[in-house]
Amino acid sequence: MYGKGILKGLGVTLKHFVETYVDDFRRGRKRYGTREGVEYRSSKDVSGLFTVQYPEEQLIIPEEFRFVPFLVYDEGENGEREIRCTSCGICAKVCPPQCIWIHRSEDPKTGRPVPEPAEFYIDIDVCMNCGLCAEFCPFDAIIMDHDFELAVYDRHSNNIYDKEKLLKPASYYQKIRPRNYAAQEKIRQEKAAKKAARARK
Amino acid sequence: MPDELNAKGYDIPPEMQNTVAITTLDKLYNWGRRYSAWPMMFGLACCAIEMIATAASRFDLARFGMEIMRPSPRQADVMLVSGTVTKKMVPQIVRLYNQMPEPKYVVAMGACASGGGPFKEGYNVVSGIDKFLPVDVYIPGCPPTPQALLYGLMKLQEMMDKQSIKSVRWYQKGDLPEIPVPILGPDLIDPRDYPDFEFKLRQAYAEKTEEEAS
Repeated sequence: MYGKGILKGLGVTLKHFVETYVDDFRRGRKRYGTREGVEYRSSKDVSGLFTVQYPEEQLIIPEEFRFVPFLVYDEGENGEREIRCTSCGICAKVCPPQCIWIHRSEDPKTGRPVPEPAEFYIDIDVCMNCGLCAEFCPFDAIIMDHDFELAVYDRHSNNIYDKEKLLKPASYYQKIRPRNYAAQEKIRQEKAAKKAARARK
Repeated sequence: MPDELNAKGYDIPPEMQNTVAITTLDKLYNWGRRYSAWPMMFGLACCAIEMIATAASRFDLARFGMEIMRPSPRQADVMLVSGTVTKKMVPQIVRLYNQMPEPKYVVAMGACASGGGPFKEGYNVVSGIDKFLPVDVYIPGCPPTPQALLYGLMKLQEMMDKQSIKSVRWYQKGDLPEIPVPILGPDLIDPRDYPDFEFKLRQAYAEKTEEEAS
């Protein structure tokens, strides 16, 4: 019989439609606006359709979600910023669309290079959020961000991110990617311990 | 009556608070416009998939009054340039923009539309639609997630709120100039030049070897 498939499909749609109201009735207000509500509605055993009421509530961002990258700095004891980046330029080399520029800094007296970037630019109108820079960075200094609310009215003055705009503290990194941070921190501590042991010998 | 419509500085008696609003003409005008900006229905590349996802029930553009995507430019208010703009596509996009009635807005969605993106150096890609159209909001990301797109559209609504009837371009005297439609220009590489190109290379190589020999 022709048209059977269409009827079947429409039946599924109708089922979802009805289930939405049934679910609304059963779970009440808790279904919207709360983290639990969003979590439940994005789980696989949810029944019915749902809409993410975006400005009031957000989808829960998975840890590996990536948007534009940012630079990590560690907070020192006196509140100074210890930038992890050593301006080695590996991220700029692996970047497929070539959106990273780094200016290395030099010691003003001796003229020898200092392992710290003088300038660090990322053109986020070229960046394709692939995450290769974060993948290749040997110092865990560049990490993909979770912040996606970046729309602007003028791209020429806003969308080339400089060092100041890119730098974010390690605590922020820990907040958005707790598992990655813990794993990397473990490796870093092991390395530091090895280095200290070697220095003692 | 929504609170956003009320102008500040007027005391409305409490018993009339839900029935009366004192507002300015600008506010009323912008309030009407911001919840009826219909996007034009066209997609250019992978960003279009995110745009479709945004329009579907999970994120639902209709919550912002962008009810329906209009396939005709005559009925559309917002042009969502969603994706890579190729040199071949630019004339058509500018023609569509010219056919849209005022007030009209352009949103550059994604890295490609706003700055060329990963294809910036490509011989066939326009590095940023803002070279041809007046863009109002740029949304970075490759591609921007549906929520990022919604944020950009909310920015557009905020921008509409700030406009005033006195200064908007479509109420000025005289005709509005049309945006010139670009002509499909020469590529950086023209396949017809290839034999010539090869010949030139060979000539340069011959000259170089001669120099080295002498």
